[in-house]
Amino acid sequence: MTEAFLYNNLNIYLFLGIFLLCCGILGILYRRTLIAMLISMELIMNGAGLNFVAFNRFVSPDGPDGMVFTLFIMGLAAAEAAIALSIIILIFRKYKTIESTEMEEMKD
Amino acid sequence: MINLGESVFILMVFLTMVGALTTVLSGSIIYAMLGLVATMFGIAGLYVYLNAPFLAMMQILIYVGAITILIAFAIMLAGPFSKKPKEWTTVGKFIVSLIVSLFSFALFFSFVMKVPWSEGKGVFSSSTKDIGRALFDRYAFPFELISLVIVVSIIGATMLAIFSRGEKK
Repeated sequence: MTEAFLYNNLNIYLFLGIFLLCCGILGILYRRTLIAMLISMELIMNGAGLNFVAFNRFVSPDGPDGMVFTLFIMGLAAAEAAIALSIIILIFRKYKTIESTEMEEMKD
Repeated sequence: MINLGESVFILMVFLTMVGALTTVLSGSIIYAMLGLVATMFGIAGLYVYLNAPFLAMMQILIYVGAITILIAFAIMLAGPFSKKPKEWTTVGKFIVSLIVSLFSFALFFSFVMKVPWSEGKGVFSSSTKDIGRALFDRYAFPFELISLVIVVSIIGATMLAIFSRGEKK
């Protein structure tokens, strides 16, 4: 086994997962359009999937459990994107905007 | 002394990070979508390094091929977004969200790096056959639930489109 290589190190993958999570949090808080918020949520899901596969590779290499969970994450992300985008298109037709700060009809 | 595999790995890591930063910080939403594409390709390369080539293929197929195209259709349907960043944000909002993001980064980093993850014994060699067998053996019920969720989401998206067409008069 070649243990000394850079890509045989768990910490790099964990760091990348945390980096994607924090980029997603920053995007959800910072962007104003709904589609950009959805894209940021995809980033968070990808960080989670990367961590699942990394733990499966390094910590418990017995079965394909982490990879199966990453496949589930991909399926859920596809379903979520379809529903969220259709709702966004509806909101755009009704309010003529997709900026989250201008939708304040249900406020108060 | 750095060999070819490591240099490609470093390239993939930087592609992922630059793509994520482009996704978050770029002004135009089209550039954000392209940054998402770059991130997905970088993560697919990392899956190859993690001995999971099937997941790399699925990543490119599902994310780059399906979700990004869906987002591109939504962007084109919902009109142009030509606003500059200084029109839709303020410095205070950016600083506050940056503080929250960096704080969560430090928190998770201190948690994750403190735990001594035990290296598993044995060689990780799960083939696509193993994944398929696990999907139909141990994870049969979640697999069926995922398919049910996807069917419900397809029907829901279609019904939303139909009812909005009816309301439009």
